[in-house]
Amino acid sequence: MVAEARRALWLYRRLLGAQVRATLQYEADFWIMSLSAVLVQAVGVVFLWAIFRSIPEINGWQFWEVVLIYALVVVAEGLSVLVAQGAWTLAVTVNFGQLDAMLLRPYPPVLQVLSSAVGMNGLGNLVLGTGLLIAAVRHVDVSWNVGRVALGLLLVVAAAGVKIGLNLLTNCAAFWLRSPYSMFAFSMHSFGELARFPVTIYGLGVRITLTVVLPYAFMSFFPAAAVLAHGPARWLGLLTPVVAIYCLWIGTTVFRYGLSRYESSGH
Amino acid sequence: MEMVHARPVTLIQVAGLRKVFRKPEKAPGLRGSLRHLLQRRFSEHVAVDGIDLSVAQGEAVAYVGPNGAGKSTTVKMLSGILVPTAGQVLVDGLVPYRARVENARRVGVVFGQRTQLWWDLPVRDSLELLRDMHGLGAARYRETLARLDDVLGLADLLPVVARKLSLGQRMRADLAAALLHEPRIVYLDEPTIGLDIAVKDRVRSFVRRLVADGTTVMLTTHDLADIEDICRRIVIIDAGRVVYDGDLQSVKDTHVRERSMSFELAAGLPGVDRIAARLPGAQVRAGSDDRELTVTFDRMTLGAREVLAAVLAEAEIVDMHIDEPAIETVVRKVYAGQLRPEPDGGVDRETVS
Repeated sequence: MVAEARRALWLYRRLLGAQVRATLQYEADFWIMSLSAVLVQAVGVVFLWAIFRSIPEINGWQFWEVVLIYALVVVAEGLSVLVAQGAWTLAVTVNFGQLDAMLLRPYPPVLQVLSSAVGMNGLGNLVLGTGLLIAAVRHVDVSWNVGRVALGLLLVVAAAGVKIGLNLLTNCAAFWLRSPYSMFAFSMHSFGELARFPVTIYGLGVRITLTVVLPYAFMSFFPAAAVLAHGPARWLGLLTPVVAIYCLWIGTTVFRYGLSRYESSGH
Repeated sequence: MEMVHARPVTLIQVAGLRKVFRKPEKAPGLRGSLRHLLQRRFSEHVAVDGIDLSVAQGEAVAYVGPNGAGKSTTVKMLSGILVPTAGQVLVDGLVPYRARVENARRVGVVFGQRTQLWWDLPVRDSLELLRDMHGLGAARYRETLARLDDVLGLADLLPVVARKLSLGQRMRADLAAALLHEPRIVYLDEPTIGLDIAVKDRVRSFVRRLVADGTTVMLTTHDLADIEDICRRIVIIDAGRVVYDGDLQSVKDTHVRERSMSFELAAGLPGVDRIAARLPGAQVRAGSDDRELTVTFDRMTLGAREVLAAVLAEAEIVDMHIDEPAIETVVRKVYAGQLRPEPDGGVDRETVS
C-alpha cells in the first residue's frame, strides 16, 4: 500500500517533470507567463491598497490582515497551477477524445490528467505570494512561534489541496458540457475570487456557497483567520486539511463518474 | 497413455455488446443551435448493436466493415476506453472498463488516426515514461527496445519531438509505444491508414511477426491487403452487427470472386466483341476512351493469364493493372448475400473498384 502510493507519487513527479521539459521548449512563453502572473496579482494588491486608503478596515480586518489572506490565495493558487494545472485541460482532453491515450496507460487516469500540464505562471505567483506573505507577517499583530509557523505551512498546503480539488470538480463539467472551453470551471473560479476578502462582508447566500457548496473560502479566508487567530472563523480555518481531503475526494469521484460517460471521438 | 489436448484459451469473450450514443438533434445553422438550447432534443445512435465474439489465445482476427460500422467503438470497449451500454466484455479475465490500470498492463492498442505519444516530448522520453508506468526494469526495457528498433527502425526517431514526426515515423513510434510492455493482446485500429507502400509493408511484416510469436491480435482495417497474410479469421460487421465470422479464405472464395483487369491499348479498338467472344462469362467494357478496356471476370473460372492472352491476341497493350476488390465491396456482398438467400442474386451489377 505504502510502496504503491510512493510509486504513484514518484510517477506523478516524473510526469510533471516531463511537462516542465516540454514547456521549457518555449522559453519566451515561460517568461511572459511568469511575468503576467506577477502583474495580475500585483494589480489586485494595488486595488486593495486603494480601497484601504478610503476605509481603514473591512469588518474588523486591517489592511495587512487582508494582504495576508490575499497572499495565501496567491501562494495556494501558485502551488495548484504548478502541480495540478492539468485539471484545466480537461475540456480539450475530453472533447477532442484525447483521454483515450490516458485510459490505455497503467496509471490512474485522474493523476494523468492532473499532471498533464504545468502552469509556469505558478512560479510568478509563488515569488509574489511569498513576498506579500513576508510583508504581511511583519505588519500583523500576531506573536509568531514554531507552532504557528508550522500551522501556517500546513494550512497553505491544505489550501492548495482545496483549490486542486475544486478545479478538478468544476472542470469535470467537460464530461457533461460538450464544449472544448472551460467556461463553467472558469466562472466558478472567478466566483471563488470573492473569498480573497473577509467573507463576513457578504450576504448569507454567498457565504454559504463559499463555505459549503464550493468551499473556495477554505483556500483563503478561513486558513488566514486560523493563522491570525482572528474572529470566530479561526476555528473553521483549522478544518482546512479536512476540507482539502473532502474536495479532492469529491473531485475524483465526479471524475470517475464522468469517465463512464466519456464518448471518445470519431466513432 | 492419455493424450492431453491443450484446449485453446479464450482471451476475449464478448456477449450481447451494445453501445448507444446520444446525439443532439439540431436543425442546421445558428437558428437551429439556438433553438436546441431551449428545446433539447436528442436522438440515439446505436453504434454497436449486440455483438458476440470469442477470440482464442494466439488468434489473429481481422475486424472489418465499412465506415461507421462500429469497428472502432468495439475496439474502444474492448480496451476499456468506453463503457458499454449493455452486454459483457471479458478480456483475459478482466472487465476492461472496471480494471483499467490492470487491463492496460496486458493489452497494447494502436490507433492509426491518433497518437498516444506525448506530443511535446521526444519519442525517447515518451517511451521512458511508459517504461516507468509499466514498471519495466532497465535490462528488459533495453532488450525490448532493441528488438523493436530492429523491425521498426526507431534509432533515428528517438530524439525527435513527436509533433515533428511524419505520419509513417509516428506510426512506427506509436507501435513501439504500444508494444513496449510486450502485451499478450494487441488491438490495431487501422494501423496502415495514410501510410506509403514501404511503411505499410514494414508495419504488416511487423504484425506478422507479432502473430508468429503468439500474440493475440485484433486488426481493424479498410485495406484487404493488410489482413490477407496476417489473419486467418475475419469478422465482418455492418451497422453494429456481426454479419460474418469465419475463415478468411472462404469469404474470398465465395464473395471476392470477381476481379477486374484494366488495359491501356496502343491503338483504339473498333469494338470489344472479339475479345468478349474469346472470354465467355467475362464482362468486357470499353473505357471512356476507345484505347481503354476493362475486363471483369470470375477468378474461379478464368485466370488473369487467359484474360491477358485474349486481349493480347486482339490488341497491343501499353499498360495494365489488376484491381483487388476493396473491403467495402466484400462487406456489401456478404451483407447482400445474407439478406438475399439466392446466390449472386443482385450483386452481379456491383462494380469492383
